[in-house]
Amino acid sequence: MLTKRQNLLETIKGGNPDRFVKQYEFMNLIMEAPIGAMCGPGQTIKNGWGITFTWPEGQLGGFPIHDDAHKVLKDITDWRSQVKAPAVESSDEAWAAAVAHANAVDRNEEFVTAFVAPGIFEMTHHLMSMEDALMALYEEPEAMHDLIDYLVEYELAYAEEMVSRLHPDCIFHHDDWGSQRSSFVSPEMFEEFFVPAYKKIYGFYKDNGVELIVHHSDSYAANLVPAMIEMGIDIWQGVMTTNNVPELIKKYGGQISFMGDIDSGVIDFPGWTPEIVFEKTKEACERCGKLYFIPGASHGLNFGCFPGVYESNDEAIDKMSALMF
Amino acid sequence: MSKIEEVKAKVEAGKSKLVPVLVQEALDEGSAPAEILQAMVDSMGVVGDKFSSGEIFVPEMLIAAKAMSKGVEVLKPLMAGDGSASLGTCIIGTVAGDLHDIGKNLVSMMIESAGFDMVDLGVDVPADTFVQAVRDNANVKLVACSGLLTTTMPALKEAVQTIKTAYPDLKVIVGGAPVTPEYATEVGADGYAPDAGSAAVKAKELVTA
Repeated sequence: MLTKRQNLLETIKGGNPDRFVKQYEFMNLIMEAPIGAMCGPGQTIKNGWGITFTWPEGQLGGFPIHDDAHKVLKDITDWRSQVKAPAVESSDEAWAAAVAHANAVDRNEEFVTAFVAPGIFEMTHHLMSMEDALMALYEEPEAMHDLIDYLVEYELAYAEEMVSRLHPDCIFHHDDWGSQRSSFVSPEMFEEFFVPAYKKIYGFYKDNGVELIVHHSDSYAANLVPAMIEMGIDIWQGVMTTNNVPELIKKYGGQISFMGDIDSGVIDFPGWTPEIVFEKTKEACERCGKLYFIPGASHGLNFGCFPGVYESNDEAIDKMSALMF
Repeated sequence: MSKIEEVKAKVEAGKSKLVPVLVQEALDEGSAPAEILQAMVDSMGVVGDKFSSGEIFVPEMLIAAKAMSKGVEVLKPLMAGDGSASLGTCIIGTVAGDLHDIGKNLVSMMIESAGFDMVDLGVDVPADTFVQAVRDNANVKLVACSGLLTTTMPALKEAVQTIKTAYPDLKVIVGGAPVTPEYATEVGADGYAPDAGSAAVKAKELVTA
């Protein structure tokens, strides 16, 4: 039996996996790294960039607040005076827990995986609201290019510190690039603003020992797949059914792999049942096949929103492995 | 190309600095304000259709809506009190417990571009607040409720049913990622739209039927 790591590599390289990769099993996620304040359920926090997030009790996630009192960037042409990056944490104490976790992982079995969020696109709209950020791409493109460069420099500074301490094998990087029906921006605009940014970021990781880039965008983004390949993404996690995943595998398998094809909304909800989870998992496995595909919910971390869903999904994948391998 | 045709083309292209100038020029040439407004509404209809079909994306829709609003600013003083120019008031909000505002804002912008006066209640709006807003505003013809989470679907249902109980004849339209046409019918809504462009078309259809 292949290790989780070997089985993943066989799957994405078009080899001979001996079972389906089971969701996030190949990633040992190092969540202790000092990447900045994250908002938890029932909390309202202000992070190092000055962005205020709130997560109402009982809801599924946190949201940046963009009323006049909270919006960090009110005028894109004046971003240099309104946006101040926090310092990258560089003390041994701050990194100790993450380093200890990374050192304890058996790298033959799993990938030591650093988690990075939010992404560059998300940062632009967290700072200034989605509407302002998207309009600024048209109205103030030079300022947006400069702001994006600034955000990239910050991420590279963090990446340098993180890579030197954790030596990750894999990066799991969030940046949502679309709704469930379309990408937020056109492929041309994406190519102009975001592809160069990610070529720098993912290029840095690949040049510094990272073997695998897994990018999360639980959305439609089929029109951005050529750009993802150009950026150096190995696995697009969060691919929703609206993307026609079998067609993407046929077209791009071998250049990039796809993780998802089970929309979280249809299995991870208050009325979920193991039967629903199995039905959706079976459909995904049968239509996508064994190579360049990792079945799993589109959710961007290794747990479900409702107790038992993630584990049930794992069990369903085990059943499909028994049936199809 | 006539001035009005130019206005249409520049709204569609999202030229927010040019549109007010062209609107003024069209007025100076003797075009009626209502005629110019209708040209811009038509133009946004084209923008909505292109968005629905995937030909354009959110930024293009945003800048077109901004360009139209700049043109409307020029027309407003000339059309004050001219109720015939409006399709009525639309109350919009994201339902209780849900803080998603991006989709709701896009829908609001497109419904406004179709000719409605908008009252945006924001996010996390309790069912009773929708009803209160209908009571507090004149000429309300439509309520638009948005819900983006599977967990807030019950709140969407409650909002629709509370509004319908208070105002049985008032039209209610719903939308959001997990909402389907079947769900909309089940909760008693009059209409459903999968995206902002279609929402504007559906809104107009509901109040002019």
